[in-house]
Amino acid sequence: MSALLSLVNVGKDYAKPDARGGRLRLVADLLRGRPAARVFCALDGVTLEMSRGESLGVIGENGAGKSTLLKIVAGVIKPTRGTVAINGRVGALLELGSGFHPEYTGRANIDLAATLLGISPAEINAKRAEIIEFADIGSHIDDPIKHYSSGMVVRLGFAVATTLSPDILITDEVLAVGDESFQKKCVAWMERYLEGGGTLLMCSHSMYHVQKLCRHALWLKDGRVERLGAASDVTQAYLAYHEEKRAALQRPPQGTAGSAAAGYYRIRSVEMTPAESAAESDPLVVTGDIDSPDDRAPVVLVGIVRADGTPVYGVATDMDGVAPRATGANRYAFELEFPRLPLLPGKYFVRVHVLDPEGVRMFDTLEKALVVTGSSREFGLVRVAHRWRVADIVPDRKDNAVTSISAS
Amino acid sequence: MSAPHNGTAGARNRALFVNFFRRELTTRYLGSTSALLWAFLQPLLLLAVYHFVFTSVFRAGSFDGKSFLLFVAVALWPWLAAQDGLTRATVAIPGYGALIRKVAFPHEVVIYASVAATFALQFVGYLVVLIVLFAFGEAVRFEGLVIAIPIWVILALAITGIALALAALQVFVRDVEHVLAPLLTILMYLTPILYPLALVPEGVRPWVAANPFGWLVDRLRDALLDGRLGLHWSDGIALLVAALLFLAGRWIFRRLSPHFEDFV
Repeated sequence: MSALLSLVNVGKDYAKPDARGGRLRLVADLLRGRPAARVFCALDGVTLEMSRGESLGVIGENGAGKSTLLKIVAGVIKPTRGTVAINGRVGALLELGSGFHPEYTGRANIDLAATLLGISPAEINAKRAEIIEFADIGSHIDDPIKHYSSGMVVRLGFAVATTLSPDILITDEVLAVGDESFQKKCVAWMERYLEGGGTLLMCSHSMYHVQKLCRHALWLKDGRVERLGAASDVTQAYLAYHEEKRAALQRPPQGTAGSAAAGYYRIRSVEMTPAESAAESDPLVVTGDIDSPDDRAPVVLVGIVRADGTPVYGVATDMDGVAPRATGANRYAFELEFPRLPLLPGKYFVRVHVLDPEGVRMFDTLEKALVVTGSSREFGLVRVAHRWRVADIVPDRKDNAVTSISAS
Repeated sequence: MSAPHNGTAGARNRALFVNFFRRELTTRYLGSTSALLWAFLQPLLLLAVYHFVFTSVFRAGSFDGKSFLLFVAVALWPWLAAQDGLTRATVAIPGYGALIRKVAFPHEVVIYASVAATFALQFVGYLVVLIVLFAFGEAVRFEGLVIAIPIWVILALAITGIALALAALQVFVRDVEHVLAPLLTILMYLTPILYPLALVPEGVRPWVAANPFGWLVDRLRDALLDGRLGLHWSDGIALLVAALLFLAGRWIFRRLSPHFEDFV
């Protein structure tokens, strides 16, 4: 079948009245069907197609036209140029948390949102209890939603979207609200919606969420399509663009004559002793060489993570009031010793990061695998110093009894 | 995925109208139960005040053999409906800003619901007042409702048209509501609502008589005071004018409403 949603060469100009008299003139222009005298072009030449089950993330800087694009797709505004075609029924499309009136109670808003989606009163009656149960906001359901926290509004929005299952779900930065555990729930909800064959159009500043939820991404820049393609490619290009922009701002003025790499701190090499595997409570030494193009001493951070990514410990030179030592022109070296590594047996990674001398921005990372061997049966990541105050021996269980031990 | 949606855009918009209409009724008074109470109580209080002013202070107990209070009441409530309908509908759009900025729906439903709610409440008040006056011995000719109800419908149609235009303009030019309030007060006193046309000095009488609202007042008094039920040629013209006002208002509204999102 043809695309669920297709935009061809879509553009939007906003009328810009400057004063009170300007507004009267604007009304006169609009009534005569003329374009407004002064306009601001928010979006131009956007062409894209979405088929059923597709997920598209819209990214871009503030004012790039993301919300305008979403509003055009939602039908809230008509494009000044181009055509929008939605191959669906009445109310096939729902923006998460929209269709809510702040003065209405949660319950009345469920009815309103369902009505806007073109659902008959009988069906609304059948679904209301399910939505209320899903939203799980207790007695707040009978309060006006202007008294809700933003998290509660999103919750209710998800309940409506999940139960009424629109053809296209639009979300504009909803993941930005709420704490981390709430965000995780939101992502899980959206993943379930996508698994059910739903179509998602989301706008987000979080590349993580775009990569996680969207197959494709659209990067808007100054109202135009900068890039459209696989989510990972587009988000990486977008991040690289920001990286360059930031680097251009941070580059010291005297470094203008330097090479392209000027201002970048790089790890040349990292060595570990022992190299790959260490026994429990053995010492571990990490050494490394760093390039510093501006010849300032960078901050070195060494961290240990378990194989599943759980951080165990991390320490930076500036935390301990030290700095790598200079070993030549634009070269620095460091050496870090853990005299008795308290790691329990298992697989770990040692990560070395290099940061600018201010310790603000990370420039380079290098990772080494480390296997800790041993026969300890303790649980967790590290051995925590402890001492038992009990009887020396449990008499009935002499076979596996343990005498009082202490570990440092 | 499963699709529970069905029906047409028309069905959706009717359901939306019912939703907004109910909301308009309940928000005007605090809860849905007290709304009904107020709908009865408010017109009766107003009637009591007019009774005091006209019968006790002005001593205008009767006019031309008919009760002055009934004479005023028959014309006053349609006016209140028109006035209240215009005033509320003119500022109705910003109240739905949260929806207008986020969801696609025909914005004119807001105006229809607002005007309809006002007219429904005022018409209920009208009936209450007529019944109470009848109970106190006034000669209300209830068979006149056969004419009075269509006249109310014509009025509602015309007011909806004007309200559509004003509400759309108000979004862009905030002065509309401030101009409207004094204008309506002036218009009320220039219409033979609180006085009979016969008392107006000869020189200005044609001007007052030319007021279209004056026509409506006359027709209502003919029907409900005298029980004259015949149709008049002016009824057709009134219906035509109301329909034209409605179409013109809707045309203006539809021209401007695509740009509301940016201004509410």
